[in-house]
Amino acid sequence: MSTLAKTAVILCNCSGIISERIDWQRVRSLLANHPAKPVFSVDELACGADNLEQLGAWLKSEQPERVVVAACSPRDHEATFRRLLADAGINPWFMQMVNVREQVAWVTEDPGAATAKTARLVHAALNRVLRHEPLSERSVPVRTDVAVIGSGPAGMQAALTLARAGRRVTLIEKEPVIGGLPVRFEELFPNLECGPCLLEPVMGELLHGHESANVNLLTLSEVTEVKGSFGNWTLSVKQKPRYINPDLCIGCMCCSTVCPGRRPNHWNVSGEIAAVDVPFAGALPNLPHIDADACLRLRGEECTACVTECPVEGSLFFEDQEQDHIVEAGAIIVASGAVEKQELPAAFTGVADVHTAYSFERLLAMNGPSGGELLKADGTKPQSLAIVQCAGSLDSGEAAYCSGICCRAAIKYAHLAAGKVEGITVTRLIREQSLPGVDAGRQLQHDHSTVVRYDAFNALSVSANDAGRSISISGGATIPADMIVLCRPLVPGEGTAACSSLLELDLDDGGFIAQMHSLSGSCATTLKGVYLAGSCRGAGDIREAFATGTAAAGLALSDLVAGRDLIIDPQVAVVDATTCAGCKTCIQLCPYKAITWNDIEKVSDVSDILCRGCGTCVAACPAGAITGRGFSREMLRAELEGVLS
Amino acid sequence: MSCQTLPVAPGKECTYGEAADGPLKVVAFLCNWCSYAGADKAGASQLPVPAELSVIRVMCSGRIEPTLILEAFQKGADGVMVLACHPGDCHYKEGNLRAFCRAELLQRLVPQLGIDPKRFHFDYVSAAEAEKFSRITNEFIGQLKSAAP
Repeated sequence: MSTLAKTAVILCNCSGIISERIDWQRVRSLLANHPAKPVFSVDELACGADNLEQLGAWLKSEQPERVVVAACSPRDHEATFRRLLADAGINPWFMQMVNVREQVAWVTEDPGAATAKTARLVHAALNRVLRHEPLSERSVPVRTDVAVIGSGPAGMQAALTLARAGRRVTLIEKEPVIGGLPVRFEELFPNLECGPCLLEPVMGELLHGHESANVNLLTLSEVTEVKGSFGNWTLSVKQKPRYINPDLCIGCMCCSTVCPGRRPNHWNVSGEIAAVDVPFAGALPNLPHIDADACLRLRGEECTACVTECPVEGSLFFEDQEQDHIVEAGAIIVASGAVEKQELPAAFTGVADVHTAYSFERLLAMNGPSGGELLKADGTKPQSLAIVQCAGSLDSGEAAYCSGICCRAAIKYAHLAAGKVEGITVTRLIREQSLPGVDAGRQLQHDHSTVVRYDAFNALSVSANDAGRSISISGGATIPADMIVLCRPLVPGEGTAACSSLLELDLDDGGFIAQMHSLSGSCATTLKGVYLAGSCRGAGDIREAFATGTAAAGLALSDLVAGRDLIIDPQVAVVDATTCAGCKTCIQLCPYKAITWNDIEKVSDVSDILCRGCGTCVAACPAGAITGRGFSREMLRAELEGVLS
Repeated sequence: MSCQTLPVAPGKECTYGEAADGPLKVVAFLCNWCSYAGADKAGASQLPVPAELSVIRVMCSGRIEPTLILEAFQKGADGVMVLACHPGDCHYKEGNLRAFCRAELLQRLVPQLGIDPKRFHFDYVSAAEAEKFSRITNEFIGQLKSAAP
């Protein structure tokens, strides 16, 4: 770089808006002594198409090495003038704009002061542009395939949306079946629609529809490692054995009717199912799964009950092994969901007829443990039902946030309970109530419960006397409570914690995966190429799961387009390996996890794909080993000296 | 003084400090996404901004190292401003918080160097706060003028 590099200065009149306040002639005479000896072009409207053409010809004839454009805000036309340079055969990063319209002409009343300030700023830009380095955009080919982690409504919707667009999707699910939580619910708020009826068409399309060939479903699978970056991720996936050959099994479930092995029925939160079975009725894919801990044969005992009963020889496949898969994808959609917090506080532990929302959901269901009858453990019908909302939510000791779904679920429970037990007294205990939207409002209009407010979950106690059982609010009301439903907080599940750890994603205060922006980027993360769908982003309902599934797929579709390489902005941070002291300060600071430790060279490495060019690491590096391209120390200091001259 | 250190040709006096420009030299580091956009909006709204103020644009307020601010004073700045996005609004998530921490540090450090801490000002200006940008820049320079010997 030479301080004598020939520099051209384009001074824009902006159709008179700038020139009525700034005297370009005076600016030129003030800059005449600048050692860059700039050549000037005063243009009536530099961004106009005809004028750009003329300026292009002028640049070609003058052949400057650097260009300063004194015109409007770089936020308006920086890209325009970079293109002008590129078209004239000059590296587009050899350009510096001076914002004389918004930040001088329009805000400085005195023309003399405006002219002097402009000269000072152009002088600084001349200093700065001499220190610019030639940069070029790098293009990287990207994969357009997408990996979706989790097959609840959000993950399924994301996978289907992508598959419909012709994308190859790998859908990774840790359970033997798909559908997530709501497929286990018989009736969904707000309209008491049946969960399986809503979801089965979606699951059917995913498994057998027109685009199902685009979806590779891996059940019983968990991601164990993720490497790479946007456009080129490699996921290692471990798939547990199902012990069923999916190519032969016809899903008749004859095996489960004769199986002597037993395992807990997690679906109904009570009872047992066979060692070879589906976790719940109607689960898809329609294949049983053998629990190796419960199967007599896999535990080394002599048992051939299922094999004898099975009409298709070879369907039961006891030699099945754990498999490792490598999934390569351009983007990852995390849809690992949330779960109901299971642990109960001491006041409710071991107390009969206390349900969580999920177990109550099952108790109400026709295919639940009591065939849809609302019965207490002693087989009688409850005369009173107390639904405790905010049971751990809005509570700094448990979940400080509102779980967002309990109010609508609780009104649904009140409605269903009233239909099942004539004359039942239903009380909703609330701390706060959140029922946004028209359909939730309609639910509230038909509420069957009495609402009682309470202050703190730990101020509730259960007591029984001759009149029956009740919940007492410390220093307040006593509420009849033959049966109790606790709406426990929705918390991030193990899958969500595992995904955030594998991908090194930040968590929010609730332990959910942090969104890029809570309003404008709620389905993106700070990690480019990793998107979020459903309640791994925060407690949410089914509507949100479907909407965010579509949204996450849309982000993947717009970011990864077949045949379109990833263009990497060269204005990123670059580490000088010879001066990096290896203190790792930058690694902790980077909000985008763009900096990693190179253990061979013992220096920090910046991924230009992940770096967004904020320069936080540049400012923090104690050794000054990081250069912020486009905003280097030398450039900023040259500009500083210029404005102080 | 800084004229001698860089590009103005040897023996030539720097001539930008015209009477109307005033003797004060004030540098403001603005982040691209919020405060620089707020300054642009002040322009679009034709709100007054002091002619003494020179803006240096960076992508994020987190880009500004404390030494750059000290060097500004060393090179003759009468005042230095760092304007960032409001907490929670940073385009780069948390660069403004780094800038805030560094500003806190500088507020304590500059008196040790004989610089009146009132000559350094850190503030938040959103892309919508044109009026605030105009007001705080005028207030800052007014205060510097009244404090000038």
